[in-house]
Amino acid sequence: MAVQEVLVYPDPRLKQLCDSADITSEITTNLITDLIETMYESGHSVGIAAPQIGVCLRVAVVDVSNNKLGKKHNHGLLVLINPEIIESSGSKTMREGCMSVPDYTGNVERAREIVVQFTDKEGVNQVLRCKGFEAVAIQHELDHLLGLLFLDRVSNPGTDIFKRK
Amino acid sequence: MQHFALTIIGRDRPGIVSSTAEIIYKLGCNIADSSNNILGGQFAMILILSHPQITDAEQLAKEFSALEDQGLSVFVRALKPGGEQRPDMPGEVCMISVYGSDKAGIVYQVAKVLSDNNINIVDLNTKLIGTKERPVYVMICETVLPAELPVAGLKKLMDTLKQQLKVDISVRTVTPVEL
Repeated sequence: MAVQEVLVYPDPRLKQLCDSADITSEITTNLITDLIETMYESGHSVGIAAPQIGVCLRVAVVDVSNNKLGKKHNHGLLVLINPEIIESSGSKTMREGCMSVPDYTGNVERAREIVVQFTDKEGVNQVLRCKGFEAVAIQHELDHLLGLLFLDRVSNPGTDIFKRK
Repeated sequence: MQHFALTIIGRDRPGIVSSTAEIIYKLGCNIADSSNNILGGQFAMILILSHPQITDAEQLAKEFSALEDQGLSVFVRALKPGGEQRPDMPGEVCMISVYGSDKAGIVYQVAKVLSDNNINIVDLNTKLIGTKERPVYVMICETVLPAELPVAGLKKLMDTLKQQLKVDISVRTVTPVEL
Protein backbone atom coordinates (compact mmCIF):
# COMPACT_ATOMS: atom_id res chain seq x y z
CA MET A 1 0.00 0.00 0.00
CA ALA A 2 1.32 3.36 -0.86
CA VAL A 3 0.72 6.95 -1.77
CA GLN A 4 -1.18 6.96 -5.06
CA GLU A 5 -1.16 9.43 -7.91
CA VAL A 6 -4.10 11.86 -7.67
CA LEU A 7 -6.07 11.86 -10.91
CA VAL A 8 -6.72 15.18 -12.58
CA TYR A 9 -9.75 16.12 -14.69
CA PRO A 10 -10.43 15.26 -17.61
CA ASP A 11 -9.72 11.73 -16.41
CA PRO A 12 -13.08 10.01 -17.03
CA ARG A 13 -12.88 8.13 -13.71
CA LEU A 14 -13.63 11.39 -11.91
CA LYS A 15 -17.05 11.60 -13.59
CA GLN A 16 -18.31 8.10 -12.77
CA LEU A 17 -20.94 7.01 -10.31
CA CYS A 18 -19.19 4.83 -7.72
CA ASP A 19 -20.34 1.39 -6.61
CA SER A 20 -20.91 0.35 -3.00
CA ALA A 21 -17.80 -0.92 -1.25
CA ASP A 22 -17.65 -4.35 0.38
CA ILE A 23 -16.25 -3.78 3.88
CA THR A 24 -15.03 -7.35 4.22
CA SER A 25 -13.02 -7.25 1.00
CA GLU A 26 -9.26 -6.76 0.96
CA ILE A 27 -9.72 -4.31 -1.91
CA THR A 28 -11.55 -1.97 0.46
CA THR A 29 -8.98 -2.35 3.26
CA ASN A 30 -6.13 -1.57 0.88
CA LEU A 31 -8.04 1.33 -0.63
CA ILE A 32 -8.53 2.90 2.80
CA THR A 33 -4.80 2.72 3.54
CA ASP A 34 -3.99 4.29 0.17
CA LEU A 35 -6.51 7.08 0.64
CA ILE A 36 -5.20 7.97 4.11
CA GLU A 37 -1.56 7.91 2.99
CA THR A 38 -2.28 9.92 -0.15
CA MET A 39 -4.28 12.54 1.77
CA TYR A 40 -1.59 13.08 4.44
CA GLU A 41 1.23 12.97 1.89
CA SER A 42 -0.24 15.97 0.01
CA GLY A 43 0.38 18.03 3.15
CA HIS A 44 -2.54 20.43 2.72
CA SER A 45 -5.48 18.25 1.71
CA VAL A 46 -8.26 17.63 4.22
CA GLY A 47 -9.99 14.86 2.31
CA ILE A 48 -9.83 12.53 -0.64
CA ALA A 49 -12.30 10.22 -2.32
CA ALA A 50 -11.65 6.83 -3.97
CA PRO A 51 -12.27 8.00 -7.58
CA GLN A 52 -9.46 10.55 -7.15
CA ILE A 53 -7.02 7.63 -7.02
CA GLY A 54 -8.85 5.73 -9.74
CA VAL A 55 -11.06 3.41 -7.68
CA CYS A 56 -14.76 3.53 -8.40
CA LEU A 57 -16.01 2.61 -4.91
CA ARG A 58 -17.97 4.59 -2.31
CA VAL A 59 -15.10 5.30 0.08
CA ALA A 60 -13.66 8.63 1.21
CA VAL A 61 -11.45 9.88 4.03
CA VAL A 62 -11.62 13.29 5.71
CA ASP A 63 -9.48 14.91 8.41
CA VAL A 64 -9.85 18.63 9.06
CA SER A 65 -8.23 18.55 12.52
CA ASN A 66 -4.87 19.84 11.24
CA ASN A 67 -6.43 22.81 9.41
CA LYS A 68 -7.06 26.03 11.31
CA LEU A 69 -10.59 26.22 9.87
CA GLY A 70 -11.40 22.77 11.29
CA LYS A 71 -9.92 23.17 14.77
CA LYS A 72 -13.24 23.94 16.48
CA HIS A 73 -15.45 21.17 15.14
CA ASN A 74 -13.90 17.91 14.00
CA HIS A 75 -13.97 14.17 14.55
CA GLY A 76 -10.30 13.61 13.67
CA LEU A 77 -9.71 11.13 10.89
CA LEU A 78 -12.96 9.89 9.37
CA VAL A 79 -13.04 6.85 7.15
CA LEU A 80 -16.37 6.95 5.34
CA ILE A 81 -17.48 3.71 3.72
CA ASN A 82 -20.74 3.81 1.75
CA PRO A 83 -21.60 7.20 3.25
CA GLU A 84 -24.97 8.93 2.90
CA ILE A 85 -26.01 12.36 4.08
CA ILE A 86 -29.32 11.80 5.83
CA GLU A 87 -29.94 15.31 7.08
CA SER A 88 -28.62 18.74 6.21
CA SER A 89 -29.37 22.29 7.29
CA GLY A 90 -28.15 25.85 7.02
CA SER A 91 -25.77 27.13 4.42
CA LYS A 92 -22.13 28.03 4.25
CA THR A 93 -20.11 29.32 1.31
CA MET A 94 -16.44 28.51 1.05
CA ARG A 95 -13.93 29.04 -1.71
CA GLU A 96 -13.15 25.48 -2.65
CA GLY A 97 -10.28 24.01 -4.54
CA CYS A 98 -9.62 20.38 -5.42
CA MET A 99 -6.49 18.31 -6.04
CA SER A 100 -8.23 16.94 -9.14
CA VAL A 101 -8.92 20.40 -10.61
CA PRO A 102 -5.62 22.22 -10.16
CA ASP A 103 -5.19 25.99 -10.48
CA TYR A 104 -8.84 26.88 -9.87
CA THR A 105 -10.95 27.75 -6.90
CA GLY A 106 -14.62 28.63 -6.83
CA ASN A 107 -17.18 29.74 -4.27
CA VAL A 108 -19.53 26.89 -3.43
CA GLU A 109 -22.56 27.03 -1.17
CA ARG A 110 -23.12 23.91 0.92
CA ALA A 111 -25.06 22.87 4.03
CA ARG A 112 -23.54 24.22 7.26
CA GLU A 113 -24.54 21.18 9.26
CA ILE A 114 -25.06 17.58 8.16
CA VAL A 115 -25.82 14.17 9.60
CA VAL A 116 -23.83 11.51 7.80
CA GLN A 117 -24.40 7.79 8.02
CA PHE A 118 -21.54 5.46 7.09
CA THR A 119 -19.59 2.36 7.97
CA ASP A 120 -16.22 2.96 9.59
CA LYS A 121 -13.06 0.98 8.90
CA GLU A 122 -13.84 -1.44 11.73
CA GLY A 123 -17.10 -2.23 9.97
CA VAL A 124 -19.24 -0.42 12.54
CA ASN A 125 -22.24 1.58 11.36
CA GLN A 126 -22.05 5.18 12.51
CA VAL A 127 -24.23 8.26 12.42
CA LEU A 128 -22.38 11.54 13.03
CA ARG A 129 -23.46 15.15 13.17
CA CYS A 130 -20.82 17.40 11.58
CA LYS A 131 -20.66 21.13 11.10
CA GLY A 132 -18.60 23.92 9.59
CA PHE A 133 -15.52 23.08 7.59
CA GLU A 134 -15.76 19.37 8.38
CA ALA A 135 -19.32 19.29 6.99
CA VAL A 136 -18.17 21.13 3.84
CA ALA A 137 -15.25 18.73 3.36
CA ILE A 138 -17.52 15.69 3.70
CA GLN A 139 -20.00 17.11 1.17
CA HIS A 140 -17.16 17.83 -1.26
CA GLU A 141 -15.78 14.28 -0.95
CA LEU A 142 -19.22 12.66 -1.21
CA ASP A 143 -19.80 14.59 -4.43
CA HIS A 144 -16.76 12.77 -5.88
CA LEU A 145 -18.57 9.45 -5.26
CA LEU A 146 -21.38 10.75 -7.49
CA GLY A 147 -19.00 11.89 -10.22
CA LEU A 148 -19.46 15.55 -9.30
CA LEU A 149 -16.73 18.17 -9.03
CA PHE A 150 -16.96 21.53 -7.25
CA LEU A 151 -17.20 23.04 -10.74
CA ASP A 152 -20.70 21.50 -10.89
CA ARG A 153 -21.68 23.49 -7.78
CA VAL A 154 -20.29 26.97 -8.47
CA SER A 155 -23.16 29.43 -8.38
CA ASN A 156 -22.00 32.63 -10.05
CA PRO A 157 -19.51 32.67 -12.92
CA GLY A 158 -18.87 36.40 -12.65
CA THR A 159 -17.02 36.36 -9.39
CA ASP A 160 -16.95 32.74 -8.39
CA ILE A 161 -14.13 31.23 -10.40
CA PHE A 162 -10.63 32.30 -9.61
CA LYS A 163 -7.42 31.19 -11.12
CA ARG A 164 -5.22 29.98 -8.30
CA LYS A 165 -1.64 31.22 -8.29
CA MET B 1 2.86 32.40 -28.72
CA GLN B 2 1.72 36.00 -29.20
CA HIS B 3 -1.12 37.03 -26.87
CA PHE B 4 -3.64 39.80 -27.46
CA ALA B 5 -6.22 41.61 -25.39
CA LEU B 6 -9.53 41.98 -27.23
CA THR B 7 -12.31 44.17 -25.91
CA ILE B 8 -15.76 44.35 -27.43
CA ILE B 9 -18.67 46.45 -26.25
CA GLY B 10 -22.09 47.24 -27.63
CA ARG B 11 -25.81 47.41 -26.94
CA ASP B 12 -26.82 44.11 -25.38
CA ARG B 13 -28.79 41.60 -27.46
CA PRO B 14 -28.61 37.84 -28.00
CA GLY B 15 -25.80 36.78 -30.37
CA ILE B 16 -22.84 38.97 -29.41
CA VAL B 17 -20.85 36.13 -27.83
CA SER B 18 -21.73 33.78 -30.65
CA SER B 19 -20.63 36.20 -33.42
CA THR B 20 -17.38 36.92 -31.57
CA ALA B 21 -16.64 33.29 -30.73
CA GLU B 22 -17.29 32.26 -34.35
CA ILE B 23 -14.59 34.61 -35.61
CA ILE B 24 -12.19 33.52 -32.87
CA TYR B 25 -12.79 29.84 -33.61
CA LYS B 26 -12.48 30.16 -37.40
CA LEU B 27 -9.25 32.16 -37.01
CA GLY B 28 -7.73 29.42 -34.87
CA CYS B 29 -7.32 31.64 -31.81
CA ASN B 30 -7.31 30.36 -28.23
CA ILE B 31 -9.37 32.14 -25.60
CA ALA B 32 -6.96 31.96 -22.68
CA ASP B 33 -9.03 34.02 -20.28
CA SER B 34 -12.15 36.13 -20.52
CA SER B 35 -14.69 38.15 -18.58
CA ASN B 36 -18.03 39.01 -20.17
CA ASN B 37 -20.75 41.00 -18.45
CA ILE B 38 -23.71 43.22 -18.99
CA LEU B 39 -22.99 46.74 -17.72
CA GLY B 40 -25.90 49.11 -17.96
CA GLY B 41 -27.47 48.22 -21.32
CA GLN B 42 -24.09 47.33 -22.82
CA PHE B 43 -22.52 43.92 -23.13
CA ALA B 44 -18.79 44.13 -22.46
CA MET B 45 -16.32 41.41 -23.36
CA ILE B 46 -12.66 41.37 -22.41
CA LEU B 47 -10.64 38.45 -23.71
CA ILE B 48 -7.03 37.34 -23.70
CA LEU B 49 -6.41 35.56 -27.01
CA SER B 50 -3.43 33.78 -28.44
CA HIS B 51 -2.65 32.76 -31.98
CA PRO B 52 0.20 30.54 -33.25
CA GLN B 53 0.94 32.70 -36.34
CA ILE B 54 -0.62 36.15 -36.08
CA THR B 55 1.69 38.60 -34.30
CA ASP B 56 0.28 41.91 -35.45
CA ALA B 57 -2.58 43.55 -33.54
CA GLU B 58 -3.84 45.43 -36.60
CA GLN B 59 -3.98 42.27 -38.66
CA LEU B 60 -6.04 40.61 -35.92
CA ALA B 61 -8.30 43.64 -35.53
CA LYS B 62 -9.18 43.45 -39.24
CA GLU B 63 -10.62 39.98 -38.70
CA PHE B 64 -13.13 41.43 -36.23
CA SER B 65 -14.26 44.32 -38.45
CA ALA B 66 -17.50 42.47 -39.24
CA LEU B 67 -18.49 43.07 -35.61
CA GLU B 68 -18.16 46.82 -36.09
CA ASP B 69 -20.79 46.53 -38.82
CA GLN B 70 -23.09 44.99 -36.20
CA GLY B 71 -22.74 48.11 -34.05
CA LEU B 72 -20.10 46.75 -31.69
CA SER B 73 -16.89 48.57 -30.78
CA VAL B 74 -13.77 46.44 -31.06
CA PHE B 75 -10.29 47.10 -29.73
CA VAL B 76 -7.24 44.85 -29.99
CA ARG B 77 -3.95 45.24 -28.18
CA ALA B 78 -0.85 43.05 -28.50
CA LEU B 79 0.57 41.94 -25.15
CA LYS B 80 4.25 42.00 -24.33
CA PRO B 81 5.75 38.56 -23.65
CA GLY B 82 4.55 37.23 -20.29
CA GLY B 83 1.69 39.76 -20.24
CA GLU B 84 -0.83 36.92 -20.26
CA GLN B 85 0.45 35.53 -16.96
CA ARG B 86 -1.05 36.47 -13.68
CA PRO B 87 1.61 37.55 -11.19
CA ASP B 88 2.16 35.49 -8.08
CA MET B 89 0.30 37.14 -5.21
CA PRO B 90 1.04 35.36 -1.95
CA GLY B 91 -0.84 37.67 0.49
CA GLU B 92 -4.14 37.30 2.29
CA VAL B 93 -7.33 37.49 0.14
CA CYS B 94 -9.92 39.96 1.46
CA MET B 95 -13.37 40.95 0.24
CA ILE B 96 -14.35 44.55 0.88
CA SER B 97 -17.96 45.74 0.66
CA VAL B 98 -18.59 49.46 0.51
CA TYR B 99 -22.11 50.85 0.35
CA GLY B 100 -23.96 54.00 1.21
CA SER B 101 -25.80 57.02 -0.12
CA ASP B 102 -24.47 57.82 -3.56
CA LYS B 103 -21.92 60.62 -3.64
CA ALA B 104 -18.97 61.58 -5.77
CA GLY B 105 -15.63 59.93 -5.12
CA ILE B 106 -16.49 56.68 -3.33
CA VAL B 107 -14.54 54.48 -5.74
CA TYR B 108 -11.64 56.92 -5.87
CA GLN B 109 -11.31 57.35 -2.12
CA VAL B 110 -11.42 53.62 -1.46
CA ALA B 111 -9.08 52.78 -4.33
CA LYS B 112 -6.63 55.49 -3.24
CA VAL B 113 -6.30 54.06 0.25
CA LEU B 114 -5.83 50.59 -1.19
CA SER B 115 -3.25 51.77 -3.68
CA ASP B 116 -1.36 53.86 -1.09
CA ASN B 117 -1.03 50.69 0.98
CA ASN B 118 0.07 48.52 -1.91
CA ILE B 119 -3.14 46.47 -1.79
CA ASN B 120 -3.95 44.87 -5.12
CA ILE B 121 -7.53 44.90 -6.46
CA VAL B 122 -8.13 41.64 -8.35
CA ASP B 123 -11.88 41.93 -8.88
CA LEU B 124 -14.16 44.93 -8.60
CA ASN B 125 -17.86 45.44 -9.21
CA THR B 126 -19.82 48.61 -8.64
CA LYS B 127 -23.51 49.24 -8.97
CA LEU B 128 -25.92 52.08 -8.47
CA ILE B 129 -29.04 50.76 -6.75
CA GLY B 130 -31.95 52.16 -4.75
CA THR B 131 -34.43 54.73 -6.00
CA LYS B 132 -33.94 57.93 -7.98
CA GLU B 133 -34.69 59.91 -4.82
CA ARG B 134 -32.41 57.85 -2.59
CA PRO B 135 -29.66 56.34 -4.72
CA VAL B 136 -27.34 53.86 -3.05
CA TYR B 137 -23.87 53.04 -4.29
CA VAL B 138 -22.47 49.53 -3.86
CA MET B 139 -18.84 48.59 -4.43
CA ILE B 140 -17.68 45.01 -3.93
CA CYS B 141 -14.02 44.43 -4.20
CA GLU B 142 -11.69 41.47 -3.90
CA THR B 143 -8.17 42.35 -2.88
CA VAL B 144 -4.85 40.69 -2.15
CA LEU B 145 -2.89 42.22 0.71
CA PRO B 146 0.87 42.66 0.62
CA ALA B 147 2.66 40.10 2.80
CA GLU B 148 3.54 42.64 5.50
CA LEU B 149 -0.02 43.92 5.99
CA PRO B 150 -2.24 41.90 8.35
CA VAL B 151 -6.03 41.80 7.91
CA ALA B 152 -6.43 43.85 11.09
CA GLY B 153 -4.39 46.58 9.38
CA LEU B 154 -6.79 46.70 6.42
CA LYS B 155 -9.78 46.77 8.80
CA LYS B 156 -8.29 49.76 10.58
CA LEU B 157 -7.74 51.59 7.30
CA MET B 158 -11.32 50.89 6.24
CA ASP B 159 -12.73 51.99 9.61
CA THR B 160 -11.08 55.37 9.21
CA LEU B 161 -12.38 55.64 5.65
CA LYS B 162 -15.87 54.69 6.81
CA GLN B 163 -15.91 57.70 9.17
CA GLN B 164 -14.59 60.04 6.49
CA LEU B 165 -16.89 58.93 3.67
CA LYS B 166 -19.93 58.24 5.88
CA VAL B 167 -20.57 54.94 4.14
CA ASP B 168 -20.68 51.38 5.43
CA ILE B 169 -17.61 49.27 4.85
CA SER B 170 -16.98 45.68 5.85
CA VAL B 171 -13.95 43.51 5.36
CA ARG B 172 -13.79 39.73 5.47
CA THR B 173 -11.11 37.25 4.61
CA VAL B 174 -11.54 34.52 2.06
CA THR B 175 -9.54 31.40 2.76
CA PRO B 176 -9.35 29.14 -0.26
CA VAL B 177 -9.43 25.51 0.88
CA GLU B 178 -8.14 22.51 -1.00
CA LEU B 179 -10.36 19.49 -0.42
